Order: sequence, then C-alpha cells, then structure tokens
Amino acid sequence: MNGPPLEAWLALSAALFAVGLFGVLTRKNLVAILLGVELMANAANLNMVALGHFRGTPFGQAAALFSIALTVAEVVVGLAIVVLLARTHKSVDADAPSEMQG
Amino acid sequence: MPWLSITVLAPLLAAAILLLVPSSSRGTTRVLSAAASLVSLWGAIEVSLAYNLHEGGLQLRETLPLVPSLGINWDLAVDGWGVSLLLLTGLILFAGVFATWTLDDRDKDFYILLLTLVAGVLGVFVSLDLFVFFLFYEIAVLPMYLLIGIWGSTKKIEIKGPFAFALRRLDVGGREYAAMKLTLMLLIGSAFILVGIFALYQGGGARDFGMLHLAEHPLSREAQLWVFPALWLGFGSLAGVFPFHTWSPDGHASAPTAVSMLHAGVLMKLGAFGVMRVGMVLCPEGAVAWAPIVGAVAVINVVYGALGAMSQTDLKYVIAYSSVSHMGVVMLGAATLDTDGWNGAVFQMFAHGLMTGLFFALVGLVYGRAHDREIFRMGGFAKAMPGVAVFFTLAGLSSLGMPGFAGFIAEFLVFLGAWRSGNVVWALAGIVGAWVTAVYVLRAVRAIFWGEGPPERYHHLSDAKGTEWVALVLLGGCLIVFGCWPRLVLDAIDVGTSMHLPVVLQAVKPELAL
Amino acid sequence: MIELAMVPVFLPLATFGVLAVLWPLRHSGMPAAWLSVASALASCVAAILAWTGAPVAGEPAQGMVFDWLVHDGKTIAEVGFRLDAISAPMLVVVTFVAACVQVYSLGYMAHEPRPALGRYFAWHSLFIVAMSGMVLAPNMLQFLACWELVGLCSYLLIGFYWDKPSAGRAAVKAVWVTRFADIGLMSGVVLLYVTTGGFAFEMTGDSGAATLVAALLFCGVMGKSAQVPLHVWLPDAMEGPTPVSALLHAATMVAAGVFLVVRAWPIFEAAPPVLTAMTWIGAVTALVAACTALVQHDIKKVLAYSTCSQLGYMVAALGTGSFFGGYFHLTTHAFFKALLFLAAGSVIHAVGTNDLREMGGLAKKTKLTAGLFILGALALAGVPPLSGFFSKDLVLEELLHAHAYGPLLICLAAAGLTAFYMTRVVCMAFLGPASARSLEAHESPPVMLLPMGALALTAAVAGFTTGRFGNDVALAPWHFAVTAPGVAALLLALGGIALAYMKYGQGKLAGLGVPALAAFIRSGPVDGLFVRGWQQGLRPLAGVVGWVDRYVVDGAVNLFGWAALVGSERMRVLQSGKLRDATYLLVMGALVVVAWGAIGGVR
Repeated sequence: MNGPPLEAWLALSAALFAVGLFGVLTRKNLVAILLGVELMANAANLNMVALGHFRGTPFGQAAALFSIALTVAEVVVGLAIVVLLARTHKSVDADAPSEMQG
Repeated sequence: MPWLSITVLAPLLAAAILLLVPSSSRGTTRVLSAAASLVSLWGAIEVSLAYNLHEGGLQLRETLPLVPSLGINWDLAVDGWGVSLLLLTGLILFAGVFATWTLDDRDKDFYILLLTLVAGVLGVFVSLDLFVFFLFYEIAVLPMYLLIGIWGSTKKIEIKGPFAFALRRLDVGGREYAAMKLTLMLLIGSAFILVGIFALYQGGGARDFGMLHLAEHPLSREAQLWVFPALWLGFGSLAGVFPFHTWSPDGHASAPTAVSMLHAGVLMKLGAFGVMRVGMVLCPEGAVAWAPIVGAVAVINVVYGALGAMSQTDLKYVIAYSSVSHMGVVMLGAATLDTDGWNGAVFQMFAHGLMTGLFFALVGLVYGRAHDREIFRMGGFAKAMPGVAVFFTLAGLSSLGMPGFAGFIAEFLVFLGAWRSGNVVWALAGIVGAWVTAVYVLRAVRAIFWGEGPPERYHHLSDAKGTEWVALVLLGGCLIVFGCWPRLVLDAIDVGTSMHLPVVLQAVKPELAL
Repeated sequence: MIELAMVPVFLPLATFGVLAVLWPLRHSGMPAAWLSVASALASCVAAILAWTGAPVAGEPAQGMVFDWLVHDGKTIAEVGFRLDAISAPMLVVVTFVAACVQVYSLGYMAHEPRPALGRYFAWHSLFIVAMSGMVLAPNMLQFLACWELVGLCSYLLIGFYWDKPSAGRAAVKAVWVTRFADIGLMSGVVLLYVTTGGFAFEMTGDSGAATLVAALLFCGVMGKSAQVPLHVWLPDAMEGPTPVSALLHAATMVAAGVFLVVRAWPIFEAAPPVLTAMTWIGAVTALVAACTALVQHDIKKVLAYSTCSQLGYMVAALGTGSFFGGYFHLTTHAFFKALLFLAAGSVIHAVGTNDLREMGGLAKKTKLTAGLFILGALALAGVPPLSGFFSKDLVLEELLHAHAYGPLLICLAAAGLTAFYMTRVVCMAFLGPASARSLEAHESPPVMLLPMGALALTAAVAGFTTGRFGNDVALAPWHFAVTAPGVAALLLALGGIALAYMKYGQGKLAGLGVPALAAFIRSGPVDGLFVRGWQQGLRPLAGVVGWVDRYVVDGAVNLFGWAALVGSERMRVLQSGKLRDATYLLVMGALVVVAWGAIGGVR
C-alpha cells in the first residue's frame, strides 16, 4: 500500500472544495456557479473514497458512486433551471432573478 | 339519539355540503343553512328537555376514543350550564342566519364559515375532553378573521394626533385592521390557554385530557397559582376582560351583522365559560386565591365599559362597549364564588347573549338602511321604522336591567352574590354600572328614534321586513319570556352551579365536602 | 278574595298582551281604547270587591305565591299576590283612579292619530298591571321589579309625544333621576337579602342593619316620590298627556315611594334615625315645592310642584313613627289631585294652552270644570269638610305628637302657601276678564266630566272614612279633635285664600312678591345642579375613559402592531433575493457552526 498518505488526499479534497466554494461565491455566471458546486461535490466524493480506502471498507466507494449518480441528477435539474432562467431573463447572470426580494 | 353530536355536527355537515353547492344557487344556500341552524336549535331544545334536573350532574354522555394513548377522546356531555348555553347558541344561530338573509356578496362562503364557527361554539359547551374543547375553541375563533376581513365594513375615520403616522400605517378603522387585531389578540390568549392545558395535562399526573380525570388529579397549589391566571387571561381575552378588551369594539364595529350577533352573543361567552368551567373548576385553589383580582378587574370592566359606551357616538361602538360592560358582570359573578353569583354569571351569559344578539341585529338593520352609524346625526327614526324602534327599546331595557327582561334577573343575582360574598364594593359598582347603562342606552334610543322626523337624507328609511323579523321577534320574545319566567333556564343553571361550585369551595374549606 | 285581587293584574295584562301583539287592533284606535277601558273598569270593580272582603289590620294576609328564583334547588324569591290591610285600600285607589283616568282619556285623547291612541291605552293597561303587581307584592323583590316597571310606564307615557324633543328629554330625565335613586333601593333590597336570607318586608334582630336597609330603601323613595333634591324630574314629567300626569305623576306612581315605606313598615319602624331624617326631608320638600309652585305660569307645573309638596307631607308624616297619617293623606291626595289634574286637562282642552297668563274668565264658559277644579283646590287647601282637611289635620297632629316641632312649623307654612297658590290658579284661570283664548273655550264632553265627577265625590267624602281607615288599616283609633296645629292650618289656609284672592282676583296688593326671587326660583336652581353634574361630571368622565381607552389601552395594542410592522420592515433588507447573498449567508452560517464546534460548542 504505497502512495500518498491520507492527509495528502484530505488536503487535496479540501483544496478542491475551497476552489469550488470560491467559484460559487465569486462567479456571476450561473453555469460557473454550477461548476463550482460540482467541484465541491467531487471534493466530498474524494473524501469518501479516500477515507474508505484507508479504513479498508468498500462503503466509501459505494457511497461515492451513489453520490455521483445523485450529482448527475442534480446537474440535470440545475442546468434545466439555468436554461429556464436564461430564457425568461435573457441572461445567465445569477443576480438577474430577483423576484424573491423581500 | 346522540343529540349532542347531532347538535354540534349538524352545522359542520351543512358547511361540508355547502362546499358542493354551486355558489350561484342563493336559495339552496340559505335553506340549507337555515335547516342546519334549525337542527341545532331543535337539538338544543331536545337536550334541555332530556336533561333530568333532579339528577343533575353530567348527562347525555357520548364517548368515542380518538387517540387513547394520549388520553384524547370524543367525550361529550352536558351539565346544567351547558344546557342553557346550548339553547342560547341555537337561538342566536337561528336568528343570525335570518338576520343575514339578504347578504349578496359571496354568500355561500359566508354561510360555510358561519356554520363552522357555530359548530366550534357548540362543541366547546359540551366537550369534556380538553383537547377537543380547545380544538372547538379554535374552530370558533379562527373563521372570525375571514368573516370580518372579507364581509366587514370599513369606517372612514380621521386619524390625527402625535401617533397618526403609526395609526395610519396600521390602517386603523379598516376591516382588515379589526380582523387582524381580533384574531391576533385572541390567539395570544389561546397560547396562554394552551400552556394552561398542558400544565393541567402534565402537572397533576393525569396524562389525560378528560376534565373528569383532571379534576381527580389536581395541580399542586403552587402550580395552580400560575396556571389559573394563564387560563383567566387566555379565556378572558375572549370574554373582553380589561385591558384585553380592545379587539371587541373594533371587531364588533367592523363585523357583518350575523357575525357581530354570534361573536358578542355567544363567542364572548366561550371565554367566560372557559374561565369558570376550566379555570375555576380545575384550578380551585388558584381561583380562590385570584378571585379578588378577577373581581376587581371585572368591576373595572363594568364601570369602564359603561363609561366607554357613553363616550362613543358610533352606534356599533356603543353596543360593543356595552358588551364589554356586561361581560364584566359575568366575570364579577364568577369572581364571587357564590351560588347566587355563579347563577347570575351564567344567567348573564344567557341574557346578554340574547340581548346583544338582538342589539346587533337591529344595528345591522339601521345601518343597512341609513348607511350611517353616528347616533347624533340620526333622529326621529321611529317614524319610519317603528318595529325596529320597539325592539331596540326592548333590548335597551334588558340591558339596563329592567325587571321583566332577562337582564334584570342576571344582574340582580350577581349583585346578590357579590354582596353575599362580602364584596360590597363590587355589588355597588355593579349597581352603579347598571345606572350608567340606563343613561347611555336611553340617550341613544332618544337620539336615534325619538325627536322630530328624520333628517332630509333619511327619507328613504323603511321598517324591518320579511325574514328580518324572525331574528327580532325570536330574540325579543325570549328576553321577555326568560325575564318573566327565569326558572326556564335558571333551574338548569342552578343545577350546574350546585355541581361545580362545591368543587371550588371544598378546595379551601374541606368541611364543605360532601 | 285573593282571586278577585288578581283580576287587576291579569285582566290588564291580557289587554296589554292583546294590544301589543295584535297590531291591527292597536292601530284601530277606539276599539283598542274601549277594550282597555273595559278592563280597567272591571279591575276597579274587582278591586273594590276584593277590598270589601280583605283582611283588616291584625288579621292574617291572604296570598298566593309562585316560585321565581332558585338557589341550590331552593326557592329564594317568589312572585304572587298578598292581599292584606295595607294592600287592599291602595289597590282600590290605584284601580279607581286608573279607571277614571282611562275613561277621561277617551275624550281627552280622541283627537290623537289612531295608532297613537292604541299605544296610549296599551301602556295604560301595562301601568295598571305594574302598579297592581307592586301593591300586591308579597315580597321586596316583586315590589322592586314592579316599581321599576311603573317607572318604565312613566318613561313611555311621558315620552308619548316622542317626536317632541322636550318630551323625549323629560322622559329620559325621569328615568335617569329615579334610577339614580334606585341605586339605593336596589342596594337596600340586596342588603335585605344578605341580612335576612329573603325578601320579606320585615327584619328582626339587628337594628343597625335595619337602619342601613331603611336608609337605602329611602333613597329610592326620594327619587320616586320626588323628594328634594331628587324632585327635578317631576315637573318635567308634565310633558306627558295630562291624564298621564293625573294618574302617574300625581295620584299613584309618585305615591309608590310613600307606599313602599308603609309596605316595609316593620323595617322603617326599626330605624328611628331614618324616620327622623324622613320628617325633615319631607317637611323641607313640602315647603320648597310649595314656594316653587307659587311662581309657575304653567298650570300643570303648579300642580306638579303641589304634588311634590304634598308628597313631602306624606313622608314627613311617616317619619313620625306611624304610617296612618301618611297613608291616609296618600289616599285622599290621590283623589283630589287626580281631580285637579283632570280638571286642568279639561281647561287645557278648552283653551289649548297650559299658560295661566293666557287664561282668565273661564268660569263662565266652562262652569262644570270650574266647579270641579275649585272643589279640588279647596280639598287640597284643607278646607273642611273636604277630605284634604282631615288628612292634613291628621298629618299635623302626628307631627305634634311626635314632638317634631320644626317640621310641624314648616308644614304649617306650606299649608298656607298651598292655599295661596291654588287660589292664585283659580283666580288666574277662572275669574277675571276673559282672554282671547277663553272666549273660544267650550265645556268638555260628558265622557270627561263624568270621571271628574266620580273623583270629586270621593275627594269630598273620603275624609269621613278617617276613623274606619285608622281602624282597618293602621290599627290606630281616631276621633275628631280640635288641635292647635289643626286650627292654625285652617286659619293659615283661609288667610292664604283671602290673600291670593285679593292679589289675583281683585288686583290689589300689587307690591306683594319679590320679582327677583321669583325669577330665581323659576330658573330651577336645583335643576341647574343636575345639569352641571351631567355636563361637568359624568360626560367629561366618560370622555376621559373614551380617551384612555383609545390612546392608552388601545394605544398599547397598536404599539405592538406597529412595532411588528416596522421591525419586519427592517428585517426585510436581509431578503435581497440574490442568489449570491443567500450563499454568502449560508457559508457564513456554516463557518459559525464549524467555529462553534471547534471551540468546544455543545458537548
């Protein structure tokens, strides 16, 4: 069992998560935000696989697969919403829809 | 026959059927509502006939487990008080349906809500299970929001003074304002009641909502000392206890006729009934300890309400403040913890219900014709509407405690009870309050109906006609019948008092226990 | 006999019920009137028959009662009938005067619109019910109830011309004032119950409680029987039709207060301080009202103040510790004062005005009315052998025996004034040159004269029943005796008559009188106090309550509502509706939670 230690994987995952979060928070483009969300989701998947591997159980990978399937569904729904918003607001700017303003 | 369930559920059933009736069929709507109210009235009469006065206690019991694990049951039964109050509700409902016969705007929805509300009222008077009791209580209170908010009337008032900016924001005088104020104040009261009910459920170890079980597992004295005021203020906010009465003038003034009739006529009684039936009977030690405060506040209600009525020039406000004053008499009677006082309190609920129902029916008639409520702009209306004038005078006489009308019996018994229980000041304040009532009621009668012919713009006025007479004759007749022959309901009320009062008194004086 | 005594309650009650419910009959006018008159006459006959068989003083009362109010399954109050030595004569007086007045009204009110006529007679029937129910009351509660009901009839009948603003004001004022006094009466009845556990007309034992009860009951008497200073409603009550003034506001209803004292005599007897106060209040009322009557221009107002004054006599007499004189004066006064009012009504009917200054010389045009009025006036003035002489003599005699010399002197002065003002009225109305209105006057129809004749007869002869009355009702032996106050009263009365005749009949003695004082009395100084109390007391107080309720109590509620509204407005800023704002908050929240966990957080 050679290769990088668990800490390295977790650090990579955290970095991935941070990059994703940064994207979500700073991007105005809805597609870019969705990409950020995907990065964060994959950071979590990486965590699960890594932890499962080092604990010697297959459940980490199983959960990751499950999560990937869900993420796919989420992306489908998310992109559909983006398409709808683009149609109604003629823009994919995240600030454009403001109907929820109190 | 399970008359109690029939009486309570008939309006609910009718409301459910009404949902299926197309809203265009005015006739069906009215006939169905009238039929349901007739069934309830008939059921109430059957109940009062079936109730055995010699046996007393709880009768006509109907039980059905709902959630046995939590101790929640459909448990209906009447005592003497319930008999008289069921009868009152049946009468007012029947009269109220006829008083709004000519309503045009979304009448189906109106009747659905009205019938639902009444089912709640009827349920409260006969429920032995506190959970179901509270459920019915809320069913009775909540439709009021829609009934006032949709069908109510808005009063154009000139807002001035240093706080005008705030009052304008609240839209004071509007029907939404009145509906919101009424509902929120009553729901805050409900929160107190809920706390009280949970305390009763848990505190005494009964873990059952049945009032009979709760009575067997009383709270400790310390707990009762805070649970009773919670119940008093909670129920009291519906009974118009000072200073939680201010929803009443605005609410009654904005509400449509039948709603005012039912609200002042029976809903306010729910509050007083709750204070006595739940608060005092289930928390006897708390009741005894708090009685002086309850009585003192009731005295404020009586005198303050009467003076408030005198200061008003808007007809609906006058009557609404008079309700605050008269409900003070009920609470005064309750606070005496005396047989005559309690008999008087419940009789006052009955008498005031009939009287104020009649008053609001008449106010609706006057307002519907004159489109004005300022009494000092009216005058000489008796010429155009002699029938309305006669019945208004009848209601007024009952309200000022004229013998021969139900109001006299009630007030007199309360005064007897107050003096007998040693609270001379309460009795005197009540008697003075009755005098102040005479002052403002007769002043209003004179300003509206007497005097030289109506001013120019009122020449189109006409007397009550058709179905409108039903409410007037029924309620006015009952005021006189029960005033001349009080034992028709007093016997039943007395049986109820004989059942409940010793429970309260024995908590303090064990030697009174049987 | 008790069945006969129930007729004056149930027969008019049935009449009232029929007239109240069957509005076509009520609106038909004369048929309704005749129905009511017939029942009143039958009631009168039944009352007289019941009286002949009624128990006299010392014999047990006849009665019949029904349970009315309960308490713990036991009856605490009954309603019913009690015929005894005290109630029987009063019942006769009430029904007799009522019957006379109703017959008279057939003529007097004939020109009213037909529905109004039906209404008038319906209320008259109700009045007989209430008054008979009060007279026959077996206990204090029924007495109180019927007492309020006669007040209701008074309100309705004073306000008979409800479209006239002054009548409306007078009707409402009558209730306000009498019910103000009833605060005392009601408290007294409640205290009676609390002390004795019942509503019987007697109290045993504790004399302190009896004094308090009697004092409270007397408050009610002062209102109903128009004792100073609560007499202010009675002159205004003359706004009602004249027959109403005769029946309610002279003969029977206002005497209810006096009758209450007689009825509840065991309670009052046990309260000497109250009796003493009664003597003084009665005497002062007699004098003050007589002085006020001197300066009135309205013939009915003169008679109204005269009624006040005579009620003062009755109350003063009751205060001496025996109810014989007061009760007897009530009886005779009912006859001659009703006669005077009906005759005054006949005069008003003839000339179309109440104002004495517009009358004059009527004796030529209306001989019978003039004769009857003068007979009544002489009876009131206390000229023998008319009934007023005997009863007033009796009152003064009782005052003398009770050593109440102050009240006695006041009453003597009032007696002289009574003769003076009645002669003034007679001179101004019937003697002297005829005024323009008098020239067109005409005598009243027989239907009005007949009942006046009947009352005149009783007013003339009732005095001869003094001995029998004393025996049967009051257990007090009576023999005619010449006493100093009696002689003085007679001399004063004759002097008053002579003086008034010289001044008003012959126009001499122009200097007699103080115009400034007369104007002051006419302005109604006591009335002014009540108006001030209303304008500066009760109404501003109500205004304060209204203000407090709107701006303090309701203000607190509105403050809550306003605070919620404004607060939510501030909070709204957080809801920008922007996705990234929401995300920032989400992340910040997550960071806070993580940080909280890192520093220890919840264990």
